[in-house]
Amino acid sequence: MNTGEQNKLCAEIAPLLVFYVCDEVNDTERAAIEQHVAGCAGCRAQLSEELEFRSAIGSLPRADEKLDAAGILLAQCRSELTEKLDDFERPRAKEKVRVFPWLRGWMMLHPAWSAAMLVLFGLAAGVQYSQWFSGRNDPVAQDQAVNVRPGPRITEDQLSKMSVAGINFTASPNSGSQNVRVRLSAEQPVELDGNLDDSDVRNVLTYVVKNGERFDSGVRLDCLDALKARAEDAEVRGALLCAARKDQNPAVRLKALEALRDVSLDGAVRDALLEALQHDSNPGVRVEAVNLLVRSLEAAQRESLARLSSPQTPEMVGTPVIQTSTSTAAADGSIENVIRTLEELQRADPSRYVRLRSAAALREISARNDQ
Amino acid sequence: MSLPRWALAFADESGHTSNSDSALATVTSLASLEERVLLEQAQAGSRPAFEELVRRYDRDVLRLALNLMKRTEDARDVYQEAFLKVYRNLHRFRFECSFYTWLYRIVTNVCLDHLRRRQARPEDQAPEAHPGQFEDGGTDFFERQREHRGTLDPERHLLGQEINTRLAAAMERLSPRERVVFEMKHYQGLKLRAIGDVLGTSEETVKNSLFRATRKLRNELGILR
Repeated sequence: MNTGEQNKLCAEIAPLLVFYVCDEVNDTERAAIEQHVAGCAGCRAQLSEELEFRSAIGSLPRADEKLDAAGILLAQCRSELTEKLDDFERPRAKEKVRVFPWLRGWMMLHPAWSAAMLVLFGLAAGVQYSQWFSGRNDPVAQDQAVNVRPGPRITEDQLSKMSVAGINFTASPNSGSQNVRVRLSAEQPVELDGNLDDSDVRNVLTYVVKNGERFDSGVRLDCLDALKARAEDAEVRGALLCAARKDQNPAVRLKALEALRDVSLDGAVRDALLEALQHDSNPGVRVEAVNLLVRSLEAAQRESLARLSSPQTPEMVGTPVIQTSTSTAAADGSIENVIRTLEELQRADPSRYVRLRSAAALREISARNDQ
Repeated sequence: MSLPRWALAFADESGHTSNSDSALATVTSLASLEERVLLEQAQAGSRPAFEELVRRYDRDVLRLALNLMKRTEDARDVYQEAFLKVYRNLHRFRFECSFYTWLYRIVTNVCLDHLRRRQARPEDQAPEAHPGQFEDGGTDFFERQREHRGTLDPERHLLGQEINTRLAAAMERLSPRERVVFEMKHYQGLKLRAIGDVLGTSEETVKNSLFRATRKLRNELGILR
């Protein structure tokens, strides 16, 4: 064997020596190695080094012999494992009551889809919750709903036995309606929460206005404030007229007249105004009555002019303007009353301002009649 | 060097080990038969059966963990993590391989994870216990006794100590996989094929890892010569 062949064989055998010393070569390799080493001093020396190395690593002190020679660590590990297994089994017992085991299995098999579904579910729940939450806190949303507390309807008898502990108004900037919360003191305290569409709320407010002697004037003023927007309602209008005529507090009477401002064309309202002009002891109320009467007459005249300018039916042609409307017809007779009353006030009212205001009103009426 | 119990089991499974004989193989087979019953009971939820399985192998598990991690805390973590994984996944064991292989696979994977983590963040780790030195810094009692024996050649003893220190340091510089392969081959006595089964790789790959590990360690020792 020449040197080149010898070197080639050494290069093949040398890497196998590592495995030869730890018995990881097959029979063919073993025979080849032993045959080569017998005749090759270099490889024999390398084998000797490999054996020495194996011996060296075999004599290395083992960590387990030093760190847990007495087996204390093993005992500790066993004890800890027992505790952890106990902990592990506790939640497993709870998991026995699984509502959707199939869903859990499906989610385990499809982690990406599960994650996407969870995100979508979270988004949907978040949107729903935010809508619900804003609906609860938004006063507009509250106004849009008829927010009436369920409960027995309040009878007149019940009202006669209870007093109003407080009234709160929630003004809505975007809608005309007001939310009213009325707390009534009785054997069983009642709290009404709603707007004037709720008949219970309306009943309580009109009852308070009509029976002013039983309630605090502040409460009555609050009630009038709330009812003002519903003066077209016959029941509410009746309560306002009652307050304008009978309430002992001039501020309440004044407020009641103000509340009737938008329905001053009504005959009953005009009668109440005249009554106030003639009999109310408070000059402020009388002035307000004069103002409302003038306003009423102006409104009546505007209505008449509107009817004249609009196409007339055959029956209406040739009929005097002031008698074409039932409302103005009813008011027509009152106009004379109004003028008489105003002349009386202009002459004899103890309040100079009332006298002056009455004179001004008469001039306005006269000027309008001339037109 | 005494081989761990599972080395014998691997021998039974993959042919033979250098230390095994037919009598041992027969004992192992009988033990496997009983073990199957234990495994089935444990899979059915029997805690005592599982604990019996733990008792059979946990000494070897801890030994392997200690020798690979070289720190009691890390070894303790490996022990707990490995057996809890076994407990959680025992229902997935289908008897397609031996329980030892399956257990060993879990343990080595946990060790590899810990070693890789340690390599990635060496600053988080406490210093390791070096050969001949306990964690508290003291030297082994037996080491100290040997030093006082007059019959031992002091120069040879010092050289031996130096070799041990260098080997231990060189072992630290091996990659986690090389370290595990070297440990399993030279200290656990497993065949390369069995190591491949445990690590889920081919025998050839394991052979390459062992060769690289040996070269690195040999180079360290070569400096002393």
